[in-house]
Amino acid sequence: MDISVDFSGIKLKNPVVGASGTFGYGLTYEKFFDLSLIGGFCTKGLSLQSRAGNPIPRICETPSGMLNAIGLQNVGLDKFTSKKMPKLRKIDTAVIANFFGETVEEYTELAAKLDAIDGVHGLEMNISCPNVEKGGAAFGTDIKTTEAVVKACRSVVKNKPLIVKLSPNVTDISEFARVCEASGADGLSVINTLVGMVIDITKRKPVLANGAGGLSGPAIRPVAVRMVWQCYKAVKIPIFGIGGIASARDVVEFIMAGATAVQVGTMNFVSPGIIPQLAEELPELLRRLGADSVTELVGAAHRD
Amino acid sequence: MQCAVISNRPLTEGFFHLSLAPEEPMGAITPGQFVMIRCCDFTDPLLRRPMSVADFEPDGSRFGLIVQTAGRGTGMLSHLVEGDRLDVIGPFGQGYNVPQEAKSVMIVAGGTGVAPFMTLAPTLAAGGKNVHVLLGARTKGHLLMEERFLHAGAQVHVATEDGSKGFDGLVTELMGKQLDHMDEPPDLALACGPAGMMRAVATLAEHSNIPCQVSLENSMACGFGACLGCVAHVRGEERYVTVCRKGPVFDSREVEI
Ligand SMILES: Cc1cc2nc3c(=O)[nH]c(=O)nc-3n(C[C@H](O)[C@H](O)[C@H](O)COP(=O)(O)OP(=O)(O)OC[C@H]3O[C@@H](n4cnc5c(N)ncnc54)[C@H](O)[C@@H]3O)c2cc1C
Ligand SMILES: Cc1cc2nc3c(=O)[nH]c(=O)nc-3n(C[C@H](O)[C@H](O)[C@H](O)COP(=O)(O)O)c2cc1C
Ligand code: FES
Repeated sequence: MDISVDFSGIKLKNPVVGASGTFGYGLTYEKFFDLSLIGGFCTKGLSLQSRAGNPIPRICETPSGMLNAIGLQNVGLDKFTSKKMPKLRKIDTAVIANFFGETVEEYTELAAKLDAIDGVHGLEMNISCPNVEKGGAAFGTDIKTTEAVVKACRSVVKNKPLIVKLSPNVTDISEFARVCEASGADGLSVINTLVGMVIDITKRKPVLANGAGGLSGPAIRPVAVRMVWQCYKAVKIPIFGIGGIASARDVVEFIMAGATAVQVGTMNFVSPGIIPQLAEELPELLRRLGADSVTELVGAAHRD
Repeated sequence: MQCAVISNRPLTEGFFHLSLAPEEPMGAITPGQFVMIRCCDFTDPLLRRPMSVADFEPDGSRFGLIVQTAGRGTGMLSHLVEGDRLDVIGPFGQGYNVPQEAKSVMIVAGGTGVAPFMTLAPTLAAGGKNVHVLLGARTKGHLLMEERFLHAGAQVHVATEDGSKGFDGLVTELMGKQLDHMDEPPDLALACGPAGMMRAVATLAEHSNIPCQVSLENSMACGFGACLGCVAHVRGEERYVTVCRKGPVFDSREVEI
């Protein structure tokens, strides 16, 4: 069965993609499987300059999930271009560059530069980054700054699909989905992590040095499925469904909620071979569900 | 990688030894390297647990773990019986690196920190090195692997926190005393145990100008360099390194412990 999908012009061999921040720059997983088996992956969030990241502890396990406050540690654009891209160009898989900035100018400068890199198939904007000019609240939790930063990036991205990764830490995600579509986004990634906290009861303070962190893993799946459902109702552009995917059934659940393709994050840590495994299991499950392709099931749960 | 449980032997209260046979040999292992263990097939507890490889066959066709029941994951492991299967990945990380020139080596181990030395200490002793093993435990009953180290030809010094055997106090206090009394300081110190102990060992070794390798036990989500959750701060630099990939064994002067 052909399970390839077209995500706004990005050709994915299959609809299962590695989520940003859980897949390094792809190469980390080469010791587990051949990267050309997977639909594609999103890079660790890139910034103009390399970033050291947050103090430790940065992670903490939670029921069926985990909290992280990595602080967007990354090698920076130059090293990504010179050290990682030459290797990635040789691999037949979609490379989606995830990026962020602390000002609108940083976002646009980075977007323009990534748009010019040969071998990058698409751009994914992480708008959950704190806006230093607006007191540090995340770009993606304010509708006006979301509009401004997406429009600014849209105006400089000419060659590649521009995907916006939405923050779930908002009252009504469909509003944000609509504003991104109206500002020229070619696709959405839904969702980033939910803000959470765990307290060490013996030390009487949060476990993470940063205090709060982003919750991910199977625990957030129903929240994510519902948000994909809401975004599908609100916009026409394709959606990456993300949040706690751990089995082929979960992939189908997101697709039926309205996702064109999905991304797997936290479960890569537990089962580093999970993405090719899900891609392999998917056709059989689709067959059992009476479907001949992934595309015909997109949004299936919305139909009467 | 699926492993068959060959045996699960209780050691002392709260500690047990698991012997595992991977479906396919794991290949060469360096003492100090670790594996990531999935404690259950469901999603809670979700993450794999890091465990140092203890004793092992040279081709990795069998290896052992020394586990302390610390919480839910290790609690599940404690119930494993012969014939059960366990999902393991690894070995990962950089182990201890003992240069040829080091003629005398001081090993400092607390609790399950004896694990990486179960194979290393006998190898070093057999290679003609003068090996001192300093073992720390809460009580005499909690001491692990004393016989094994004696048998390997190492000089074993014991510290118990309740004074029930050997030196009355912490193994790091014993280390300080040993360093004061030795005619010639060791060429190298190797340590494994809780973070507080690693910090104390590193400080003592630095005061005596002895190169020292410590093993860090930062919490890990993946164990293979993908999450950047396990990092340690590089000394004197605004930079972090992954403990799972560049460690868990570090030169004590390289990172903040
Ligand atoms: C490289 C490396 C090698 C290691 N080698 C070994 C080894 O050889 N042998 C070994 O036994 N261990 C080893 N460890 C440590 C081992 O990985 C941990 O002990 C294990 O992950 C604990 O898992 P658990 O599920 O049993 O405990 P968890 O359930 O995760 O609990 C761990 C501890 O945290 C406490 N805790 C949980 N929640 C809270 C809270 N909210 N507030 C306060 N306290 C809380 C628990 O009570 C418990 O004491 C190693 C670690 C590393 C990084
Ligand atoms: C350790 C870690 C680091 C992450 N880093 C990023 C990042 O740099 N950029 C980003 O857009 N999302 C990042 N994410 C979010 C994931 O891409 C994903 O949206 C989220 O974890 C939900 O999916 P999951 O439940 O499958 O993990 C990170 C997640 C984790 C767990
Ligand atoms: S544990 Fe994930 S990078 Fe080290």
